Amino acid sequence: MKIRESLALFADSWLPRSRTTRVQWVSALALSVAFVLLPWIVRLDGKPHADWEQFLGRFHPLAVHLPIGLLVLLPLLEIAGAHRPALREAAVFVLGLAFLSCAGSLALGFLLAFGGGSVGTVVTRHMAGGIALTIGVLLCVLTRPWWVSGSVDRIYPVLLASVLLVLVWTADQGGTLTHGSNYLTQYMPAGFKRWSGLAEASAAGSFYEKHINPILDADCTGCHGAGQAKGGLRMDSYESLMKGGKDGAVIVAGSPEKSPLLTRVTLPPGHKQFMPAEGKPPLRAEEIAWIKAWIQDGASPTATTVAGITLREERAELPFQPVGDYSALMPEIRQMDQTQGAKLKLLSSKPEDGLILFTVDAAGSFGDEQLRQFQKFAPYIVEAELGRTAVTNASFDTLKQFTHLRALHLEETRVTGDGLAKLAPLTQLTYLNLSGTQVTAAAVAPLSAMKNLRHVYLYNTPAQPAPGIGQAQPIARSQP
Amino acid sequence: MKQHPLCTDTEHAPNVMEMNVPAGLKREWAELQTRRHFLGRSGKVLGWAAMASLLGGRALKGDSHANGQYGAPAGESLKLPHFAPKAKRAIYLFMSGGPSQVDLWDYKPHLTDLYDKDIPDSVRGAQQLTGMTAGQARFPVAPSHWAFKRYGETGTWASDLLPYTARMVDDLAIIKSTNTEAINHEPAIMLMNTGNMNAGKPCLGSWLAYGLGSMNDNLPTFMVLQSKLNTKENNQPVSSRLWSSGFLSSEYAGVGLRSAGDPVLYLTDPDGVDRRVRRNMLDAVNEINRQTYEELGDPETNARISQYEMAYRMQTSVPELADFSKEPKSTWDLYGPEAKDPGTFAYNCLMARRLAERGVRFTQVYKRGWDMHDNVTGILPIITGETDRGCYALVTDLKQRGLLDDTLVVWAGEFGRTVYSQGGLSHDNYGRDHHPRCYTTWMTGGGVRTGITYGETDDYSYNVVKDPVTVRDFNATILHCLGIDHNKLTYKFQGLDQKLTGPVPASVVQGLLA
Repeated sequence: MKIRESLALFADSWLPRSRTTRVQWVSALALSVAFVLLPWIVRLDGKPHADWEQFLGRFHPLAVHLPIGLLVLLPLLEIAGAHRPALREAAVFVLGLAFLSCAGSLALGFLLAFGGGSVGTVVTRHMAGGIALTIGVLLCVLTRPWWVSGSVDRIYPVLLASVLLVLVWTADQGGTLTHGSNYLTQYMPAGFKRWSGLAEASAAGSFYEKHINPILDADCTGCHGAGQAKGGLRMDSYESLMKGGKDGAVIVAGSPEKSPLLTRVTLPPGHKQFMPAEGKPPLRAEEIAWIKAWIQDGASPTATTVAGITLREERAELPFQPVGDYSALMPEIRQMDQTQGAKLKLLSSKPEDGLILFTVDAAGSFGDEQLRQFQKFAPYIVEAELGRTAVTNASFDTLKQFTHLRALHLEETRVTGDGLAKLAPLTQLTYLNLSGTQVTAAAVAPLSAMKNLRHVYLYNTPAQPAPGIGQAQPIARSQP
Repeated sequence: MKQHPLCTDTEHAPNVMEMNVPAGLKREWAELQTRRHFLGRSGKVLGWAAMASLLGGRALKGDSHANGQYGAPAGESLKLPHFAPKAKRAIYLFMSGGPSQVDLWDYKPHLTDLYDKDIPDSVRGAQQLTGMTAGQARFPVAPSHWAFKRYGETGTWASDLLPYTARMVDDLAIIKSTNTEAINHEPAIMLMNTGNMNAGKPCLGSWLAYGLGSMNDNLPTFMVLQSKLNTKENNQPVSSRLWSSGFLSSEYAGVGLRSAGDPVLYLTDPDGVDRRVRRNMLDAVNEINRQTYEELGDPETNARISQYEMAYRMQTSVPELADFSKEPKSTWDLYGPEAKDPGTFAYNCLMARRLAERGVRFTQVYKRGWDMHDNVTGILPIITGETDRGCYALVTDLKQRGLLDDTLVVWAGEFGRTVYSQGGLSHDNYGRDHHPRCYTTWMTGGGVRTGITYGETDDYSYNVVKDPVTVRDFNATILHCLGIDHNKLTYKFQGLDQKLTGPVPASVVQGLLA
């Protein structure tokens, strides 16, 4: 009995009592159903349509900011309205306007997506968010009178809060569409990134993870991914990629020419079977080259390098390690100019950037003994230009004390490389030029242990004989 | 004004009127003062007034000289570089005359279909043309005579005229959206070099020499290499105004190496004069100059002293510099046999590499002859044949020697060329007029993000549609690579803080930076 009573009570408070409210509810429900069905009525087929649709649609990114502003304003009005009732009255108007602008933006959004031929999981999500949001605001309009009258005081606040959450999510999806997925986090401070778990998973990822998957992710998974799997093919994971689609495998490890994936992306763009389909831009030449070399090399999920592909590593530059305070030594530093013929110059106007040792004036008369005179300034020297001087292997004993050294020029000196291992403590060293010396491959081998040393030049040495025209390359080791 | 010791014509003439002589004699003297006397004297006064105004406050105060004092290093007192530089030196390959971006870099495949069709007025807009084509009744599209292919991992389009440069497209930042305000050679080339269309401002190299100072005291900080003329080409003049230091001290002006004979004239001591005699002579001359400086405070006197000293040191450094005999065979394989012939562009590229190795801050190589108002198909292959391999060899050589990490290399002309034909258009030949609205340049080396194409032009290679790079921005970016904030490298002259990029705001093109 009790249950029935309470149900009756509930129904009494819930069900629309007057005719007008019933009409409101029925039409609202119909409208909501229409919104939900919109994606089926206006199917996004990925093809561009009429120009006028695109023209109007492009106002969508502009128009959406109106409902966003109004919806953010709304809770503020409601809260502040507790003290100033006039604000609550204004809230009715703002809410109504929010609904109208939501519906308008939704319409423009559909014109944009349909007219411009956009598809993809993010588009779908953004669309779903927009529809949910519009329905949510509509429900807010209907439930607000209950809240005002005090008959049901929970539903409206809960609805409004959910609407705001959906708003944030939808806006984020929209932002991803226009600015890319890492727009917000790209320049996040590193510490904050680590804390929020957004840090790059691992810098030492495989070639597949670092280069192949991102291409597929950007250009293929819109149709061949979690959202859609045209032709039964999904390319969002290594396993599904290798499994292929309903017509069989798309990758034949070791034979790029037999791999349908490569064939399809290299057809002439007008061809019926060309991928990416539906007029999307073709893959870039370098991307095709990577895919080809990767398949040629066995299409491994774990290999970190692929034969024939040298990649410009976008490695973060080693940050400057400020050198200590040498202001007390400045008079002596200036004096070195006069006495040694070699000079110490400030790298930049910031003293903590360190000093450069120039020897070009002294050249032939500058030997190991002269270098030793600079030992006193060792921790402040970040660059030593010793090319064409008379220094020998004995210089390594002095140089190993240059703890902040980033670049070392020893080109065309009498260095033969014995004792290069002594430079191991120079953790900041990124550049070493040994061109035109007599260093051998064996002598430079220990350098591979120095993990920050990225640029080693051995042009015209026994370690790397002068190359012929067209293939001259510095040894820029891409991985530690 | 204090009198110059060498100047005698302002000595006080005895004033007869004040002398103790009979009045009759004074009267007689006064009658002899003719119009000629008056004019002669006022002429001298006017001359001095003019000179004072020409020298401005500098001659009187002598304080605007950067170093303040003779011999102090330039960079240090100016607190430069402003920040840690990526490039320590730069090589600027200047393609004077205006290379045709349509035939070299800016590939527009659909132009073939538009052969001999007029380009739409909407594309040309209300542009003022040069007198050379303004009178043309039609502006028919002249598609490039040469095919384009894609090169490198980046798949960058390059013309068949650039087989060597095409090999290094992955190492370049190709800027398709460079644009200028000038439409004729002299103003345009001045604008590129000095940031101003009118002569008289210091050029880029002088600003660098002034701001950053020298790395090698035995060679000039700023050197200019002119390539030999090819009379088949239309050679627009290149004058020393382009490497002038303007209002900066003349020690920052570019020093040219001659393309034939002795690289520097009169550098070798005459017979019977040895190094010691030369030294004694210079010491004496410097002593006199120093006295002059102390008396008059004219900073140009100091510039003269340092120029004498530089010439003395160059007596030993230049012969070593110009001695290519120790270059290995691989050098000649790379640069080609032309590089053995002094004054060719290839020779100058090799010289530029040697100057870079020796710590010369800024080297500018000029190649004239890109001005093609007619017979493009006849002349363009000649000039690309002269320059293509040298450019490639220089960049490749710097790279293999580990110098490209801290050397900036720039390739640019003063403007581009029109897509429409100047004069008659046939399937075999056409001409192209000056085109300031877009032209292609490239950079590479220290501080530059390579393997990119920056900026886009419209379908006619006529207007920039994306990421325009003005001459100001271009120069600001070059300065940035060398650790200089273009807004901070200034010099007070005529009441203004003068700078390379001029008073109109300029911005460093971030998209071009590594």
